[in-house]
Amino acid sequence: MNRILEDVIHKNAATVERITSENTAGYVVADNTANAVAETSFDNTGAQAIVKHLHGVLVTSCQSVIRDLDPTNKLCFLRVATRKFEYLVAPEEYFTITVVQ
Amino acid sequence: MSAEIEEILKRYSNYPNVSGIIIVDAFAIPIKTTMEYTLTVHYAALANNLLAKGSKMVQKLDSSNELTALRLRTLNHELMIVPEENFFIVVVQKPCE
Repeated sequence: MNRILEDVIHKNAATVERITSENTAGYVVADNTANAVAETSFDNTGAQAIVKHLHGVLVTSCQSVIRDLDPTNKLCFLRVATRKFEYLVAPEEYFTITVVQ
Repeated sequence: MSAEIEEILKRYSNYPNVSGIIIVDAFAIPIKTTMEYTLTVHYAALANNLLAKGSKMVQKLDSSNELTALRLRTLNHELMIVPEENFFIVVVQKPCE
């Protein structure tokens, strides 16, 4: 499972470069099954753990809202706008990517 | 207060991609809507719940920060939930691409 993740991350190195060179504060890639952080550009582990929390509660509840409204639909992307930042969350099949900008 | 609500509704209905607008008050009761009633109530309850969770999350992450909007993009449409002071707005729109 981790190998798949590493593979994907290596392949998308160029994309990661592009994302980090723009207006972002950082990103976190987490794998869904273990609910653990796979890769991040943030320095403090406290922030990583908190973003994990965000994934766990908010993303899953958003997904369940979407499925509740229409069982064929699914969540593709989630943007949480706050006063200071915007969190862009992209849940995939095996992992979830969050970018803070 | 209802004049400002009317104004918001009018402003949002001018966008071409919008398929529905719901204005929900602080008790999760829909005040104004452009969609059918049962669906509206459904959206209102779910959006209220989501907003509560979302704002709690943001507060936990950074206590000086606060949630300003939540955008859920799905296959078929894009759902935007915006909390205001006394109420919140749910807009359903067709995605641009």
